[in-house]
Amino acid sequence: MKISVKLFAFLGDQLGPVVTIDLPTNTTVAAIKNAITALDPLVKETVENSRLAINQEFINQSEITLNSTDEVALIPPVSGG
Amino acid sequence: MHYLRISDQPIEVGELYEKLVAPEYGGIDMFVGTVRQWTGPVETKEIEYSAYHPMAERQLEKLAEPIEAAGGRVVVAHRTGRLKLTDIAVFVGVAAPHRAEAFEWCRYIIDTLKQEVPIWKKEYDTDKVRWGN
Repeated sequence: MKISVKLFAFLGDQLGPVVTIDLPTNTTVAAIKNAITALDPLVKETVENSRLAINQEFINQSEITLNSTDEVALIPPVSGG
Repeated sequence: MHYLRISDQPIEVGELYEKLVAPEYGGIDMFVGTVRQWTGPVETKEIEYSAYHPMAERQLEKLAEPIEAAGGRVVVAHRTGRLKLTDIAVFVGVAAPHRAEAFEWCRYIIDTLKQEVPIWKKEYDTDKVRWGN
């Protein structure tokens, strides 16, 4: 399944605001991170430190089931305030 | 009722303070975060803030809700866009019946905001551009 992943901050600068990756419906946070790192090795460290959000909620579990309508985002370490 | 805003509009402290004033509160604690010039040897010229809307607003709501349920009032405003030195980046205000909760809740919100709310800064320093801290 093609999944669009929203990117922000350094990740968005490097890869653009959205990337599309191809993954099975039942996947893992690690698989999503690996697919994004494969696009550009420069983002590896930031991707490793990022958290996944699905439908604007942080995901804590490692295994996930995605629906085609899910909003998937990779959240690099935040730095507001 | 809480007031939470993430926008490119300038933060007016007086206006936000007014939202915290009510007869049931005896303590109002406010934190104002501004753009600092020096971080050790690094000199900052400007900071550009961006946010993941509306997840950032939802995360702020999660911070405010338990405090409001416990009898406080929460006002948070965060800027996005490009800010100059001394510009206000964030305002956190908490009104509570007594000062102890006002201090505690205000600190909780700014500390947790820095961990849990998807907002990012891009620092334009004199030597280079830096993302985050």
